[in-house]
Amino acid sequence: MSFSSLPVPVEVEQTKSESSLEKPWKVIVLNDPVNLMNYVVMVFRKVFGYEEAKATKHMREVHELGKSVLWVGEREQAENFAYQLQRWRLQTILEEDD
Amino acid sequence: MIEFQLNVDARLLQSLLPEIEKTFAQSYKNKRHLFKCPITDDEDLIHAWEQGLADDSLEDRLALAKIFKSPKFKYGYVELEESDAEAALRSLTELRLSLRENALSEVRDSELESGNLSLSRRQSSVKVAYFTYLILAEIQESLLASE
Repeated sequence: MSFSSLPVPVEVEQTKSESSLEKPWKVIVLNDPVNLMNYVVMVFRKVFGYEEAKATKHMREVHELGKSVLWVGEREQAENFAYQLQRWRLQTILEEDD
Repeated sequence: MIEFQLNVDARLLQSLLPEIEKTFAQSYKNKRHLFKCPITDDEDLIHAWEQGLADDSLEDRLALAKIFKSPKFKYGYVELEESDAEAALRSLTELRLSLRENALSEVRDSELESGNLSLSRRQSSVKVAYFTYLILAEIQESLLASE
């Protein structure tokens, strides 16, 4: 493919404010009475690559405190993690980190 | 291939098969808040998010259907390909959440979490749903053990 065949980039209207894109976002999992504890640990390990001990710590936070912040960082990656967690049917929300 | 025998009487399991089938059908209609995009200011993202998860859910259901459609399942025997295990686990969660939101809606969270559920005072529909809930959990536990 020659470079001349590539589409000319066009300026795309910015739909998200720069501040919301730059601020870190928190990936938060909420407790539910249905999911098995070892299921939740397995999901945290698969999605975040956490070691057993770290995944278990977060699972206990979810269970005992009602929620746990699993990850904090760039919005796009936070969205990706949230999508994966919801795919595993875990109640997940995102919040801007203040 | 993953194979295991459920620790449940085959007659009890067979009496619960209609409830399992009903829950399987009902869970498909109950996507609701599970697939709620946590970002609310981007219509395109919301649409892609919810559609993507709904499509993923359909694939998961196919994996679980293989277990239920097996002629051995009514005797408590579960078998499925290892490649279907994760999808089946997700779909089992979806069914249990659906039971919790429908037939088990009157049960308190603490009762479900602790397993301390007094069945003698409950309607038969709640009892049937709760036994189904437990059987689905046992399949999940066994699949997790095989991971």
